Amino acid sequence: METDARRVPWAVGVAIVIGVVAFSWPLFLRPDSGMSATQAPIMFAIVLPVVLAIVLSEVAGGRMDAKALAMLGVLAAVGTILRPLSAGTAGFELVFFIMILAGRVFGAGFGFTLGAITLFTSALITSGVGPWLPYQMLASGFVGLFAGLLPRASGRAEIVLLAAYGMVSAFAYGWVMDFSFWPFGIGSDTQLSFDAALGPLENLHRFVLYNLATSMGWNLGRALTNAALIVLLGVPLLRLFRRSARRAQFVPSTQPAPLAE
Amino acid sequence: MAVITFDEVSVTYPGAGRSTLERVSFELPEGDLCLVIGATGSGKSTLLGAINGLVPHFTGGTLRGRVIVDGRDTARHRPRDLADVVGYVGQDPLRGFVTDTVEDEIAYGMEQLGTDPVAMRKRVEETLDLMGIADLRRRPLTELSGGQQQRVAIAAVLAAQPRVLVLDEPTSALDPTAAQDVLAAISTLVHEVGLTVVLAEHRLERVMQAADSAIWLPGDGTATCGKPAEVLAQATVTPPLAELARIAGWSRVPLSVREARRRALREDLVPAAPELPVNGTGPVVLSARDVEVRYGDVTAVRNVSLDLRGGTVTTLLGRNGAGKSSLLWALQGALTCAGDITVCGRDPRTLSAAGARRQVTLVPQTAADLLYLPSVGAECAQADAESDVAPGTTAKLLRTLGVDVPDDRDPRDLSEGQRLALVLAIQLAVRPPVLLLDEPTRGLDYRAKAELRRMIRTLAAQGVAVLISTHDVEFAAGASRRTLLMADGELIADATTADLLTSSPAYAPQMTKVFAPVPVLTPDDVARGL
Amino acid sequence: MADERTQTLTSLHPWAWWCWAIGIGIAVSGTTNPLLLALIATAMVAVVMLRRSDAPWARSVKTYLLLSLFVIGMRLFFQILLGGNHGETVLFTLPQVPLPDWAAGIQLGGTVTAEALTSTLYDALRLAVMLLCIGAANALANPRQALRSVPAALYEASVAVVIALSVAPQLIESVQRVRRARRLRGNSSTSLRTLGTIAMPVLADAVERSMALAAGMESRGFGRTRGLPTKGTLPLMLVSSMVATAGVFLLLSTDFWALSLGLLAAGVTAATLGLRLAGRRLRVTAYRPHPWRARETLVAASGVLAAVAVLGLGWLDPEALSPALASLLDPAALTPSTNPLVWPGLSLPMLVVVGLVLAPIPLTRARHRPETASTRNDTRVRSLRPRAETEPERELAWR
Repeated sequence: METDARRVPWAVGVAIVIGVVAFSWPLFLRPDSGMSATQAPIMFAIVLPVVLAIVLSEVAGGRMDAKALAMLGVLAAVGTILRPLSAGTAGFELVFFIMILAGRVFGAGFGFTLGAITLFTSALITSGVGPWLPYQMLASGFVGLFAGLLPRASGRAEIVLLAAYGMVSAFAYGWVMDFSFWPFGIGSDTQLSFDAALGPLENLHRFVLYNLATSMGWNLGRALTNAALIVLLGVPLLRLFRRSARRAQFVPSTQPAPLAE
Repeated sequence: MAVITFDEVSVTYPGAGRSTLERVSFELPEGDLCLVIGATGSGKSTLLGAINGLVPHFTGGTLRGRVIVDGRDTARHRPRDLADVVGYVGQDPLRGFVTDTVEDEIAYGMEQLGTDPVAMRKRVEETLDLMGIADLRRRPLTELSGGQQQRVAIAAVLAAQPRVLVLDEPTSALDPTAAQDVLAAISTLVHEVGLTVVLAEHRLERVMQAADSAIWLPGDGTATCGKPAEVLAQATVTPPLAELARIAGWSRVPLSVREARRRALREDLVPAAPELPVNGTGPVVLSARDVEVRYGDVTAVRNVSLDLRGGTVTTLLGRNGAGKSSLLWALQGALTCAGDITVCGRDPRTLSAAGARRQVTLVPQTAADLLYLPSVGAECAQADAESDVAPGTTAKLLRTLGVDVPDDRDPRDLSEGQRLALVLAIQLAVRPPVLLLDEPTRGLDYRAKAELRRMIRTLAAQGVAVLISTHDVEFAAGASRRTLLMADGELIADATTADLLTSSPAYAPQMTKVFAPVPVLTPDDVARGL
Repeated sequence: MADERTQTLTSLHPWAWWCWAIGIGIAVSGTTNPLLLALIATAMVAVVMLRRSDAPWARSVKTYLLLSLFVIGMRLFFQILLGGNHGETVLFTLPQVPLPDWAAGIQLGGTVTAEALTSTLYDALRLAVMLLCIGAANALANPRQALRSVPAALYEASVAVVIALSVAPQLIESVQRVRRARRLRGNSSTSLRTLGTIAMPVLADAVERSMALAAGMESRGFGRTRGLPTKGTLPLMLVSSMVATAGVFLLLSTDFWALSLGLLAAGVTAATLGLRLAGRRLRVTAYRPHPWRARETLVAASGVLAAVAVLGLGWLDPEALSPALASLLDPAALTPSTNPLVWPGLSLPMLVVVGLVLAPIPLTRARHRPETASTRNDTRVRSLRPRAETEPERELAWR
């Protein structure tokens, strides 16, 4: 798979910065800014798809050849099938372990694209495109992305590293998604809700309580499934992915026939 | 004017001991239908891939020599640059489909080439008409039959208007009717449109008569090219007519039934009728009465009653979609169905999966589905554990089936025939009295089919009742004594193989057609009768 | 899916529907008048019922309605339990339960006032209708058609999505086949180990499939017309996205709203320009692209107009208008106060907005329902044989 390593990190770096801003917007909202808590996400709803389009077009377009795209599509299909399987039970998200393992083997750019496209495709098949989709795409893109940036390891240490990352990323995903939808869930008038008049630290405290109250179970479930699946299926999957990555990268050589014989 | 030139081409894959192709040279004139013949693993796919540039640009490896297609050297052109010259259709068309409807698939190639939309519309319509699939244009690709999918795949590469069409085993999975449709379409392309077609095929008996030239790959890397009649006379790949030529001592192989028959009549070759086989007298091990399988509103199998005796080999013939697979799965007890099924006194549907397996064993169409462990040794050990037999039984069984591979080989790296043998060994470890095989001959070359025939004969000698579902008539003729014919979910005929095959024009093997009215079935019968 | 092509001529371009829906959504975000919101919601549901596409989730407007109700319910619940209470009309009182200090001194329960409840209700209703707008867009615009009209810069990403959509059902079949094969080997348990043994062959098969697919794509010329990207597209796009984000950041955290809006607009336009430039490197043409006609412009415009009307009305200062105009336009009716409680009223502009919501109905035509899927497609039949094969006669019987 031809991936131009130089260009990808720029687009990905920008994505990280924008993602941080997008997901932590409640911390920055000031009451005198003239925007209500309901209108702010709309601003992001306009900016985020454009940003996602830019990052995806840089990473996927022009840098991925047919093999990488086919692998991307097929792995996204696997993730798409896995997602509705876990919809009923709280927090048993089966999708992420594929993103983590693929991001580890194929790199940060591939991991980001896989995360974003898996969420998009599964939205197309199951629930339709909703206002939370750009956030979900960005967040799961990050899950794949950072998996590609993990330090080197091999053998058992690698599995432990990936499983630990799986747990951390599960919590991070949950926090990040909750944070951006915190004002929606609760509204602006309760004691636990986001209050633009208070400082960021106070809001953070409120958020932690809100999170504990609502989605800790989900996050815990997600973390446990990630870790369990990575431990169970990690070794054979990593071997499978690495084998196909090897088959995809080679230097062909064609030489003219020797003249005399 | 040669449109394809191979000049001292050698291909070596990384990590392989020897080269797959060794100094192959030939020239293919324009407008030829060229048949590439060779056993599995002899390098056919490599040869076909080299025409397109997939070897070495896509698959890796080293290519020495030059391949020139329509004036373009594949060393300097990647496969995507040759897309308007060479159209390549791989082995499984469904896996190569990028979109989900027929029309979009055909337009895809032209979109990639940046064709003007008006021209695209026109070409899509023309290609649909050319392949005879105009009424399928809006259908989803997964809803098409095998033959239709193959034709759509060909149409999809035709839309770019190439000069050469390369097909890797287009009819191996198709029943005779569908194969006929695809071959007729290919012939039209050669004769009416003037394309050059290069075709690799295992089931040569269907394609031989249309071929203008042939390339034979013996397996040591060399290639022999020439007229089909002469190449087949030297080849070790032997369709029935080639075997007949060998038996009769002809230096040129007759390419069609008509040619063989005329020659036989001219030379007054009339074999004696083979003696009637003795009816199987083993005990009845499987008895089915009024089996009916329904999927919602669709009845796949209706009122089927049959008996299988131990030590006999029975074939189940029928068109694709006649209900053969459903019947076999029902007999194994894996499907809910109405009717009575008794195997050695027990009903397999009431048993657990492990218990049913001891009575009736099924080898499904994709035998590789049963394999999931990373090495052959692990599979054998697992099979021993599952079947409750002494360790090493399965491995020994595998060796008696004629497959000798090291234990650490990955089952995915085995050839089709070897994989089938491995699955057979795994399923037979438990020594069931009944063995069901669903389309085992798919993707097997003649030698592997002969091996399979031998394996089945050994099993029958040990008292196992074998039921094979297939649409390969030649295989059925050689392997079984009794044949059942299924159509539209019902058993419409049940007779000895000789009677059934000789009396039906659609299912008659080639030897029967050549020597009619003498009821010979296989070249062996002919050899014995002369 | 079967008759998508004929419907290309009669159906609206999916982006037009999205433009309309997002416009209405933006309009909804500018008001909390429950009457207006209810009217808009009914109008949207009417449009969806009359003009929805044949995608499988087109019937899931119910799901979005349920989701909206759930949001309203959850908001009310949290308000009752945790709300700060203002206003005078006390409805009922819950026992107060103070939480420990580390929980920020929150008091559960307390008095529940009508003012607080109504304001929560208004807010939640607004959110619910915004969700309904998105749901309506999903039901009306077939996403697969929308995929065909992505900007050229995202072509490769859309190829990956199309591949995923095509391969997913085949993988499901693969899983069913492998499960059957497992039973043939004698283990019919559904323990975690067995699931793992099913997962590995399916995944290995998926990876093999991707290689075969890539070979097919490569042979058919994928990537052939891809040139080098124009120099400077990358910096342009990255800078523009940073500018846009800075604009949003400033908009949220400061009151330099003119500057931040300007930054935002500049960033977004520069980014779109960059995307267009990036798309030019790939000269792939589209087969039978969805046309954009006057109808599409009108429908999209109706959404934009609605957003402009509501937001503009909200920014109007009633004192700056003449009394007659003020009473006609009545901008204050957009946000009826909840403390003290007053009955919400309707004004003329609101009816105009509702009219704009209903605008697509006369501009488009209803879809024909295609025939139900044939039983040939029954996965139970197909999973036994890797290919579905039928006899030609059966095709005619099911026309």
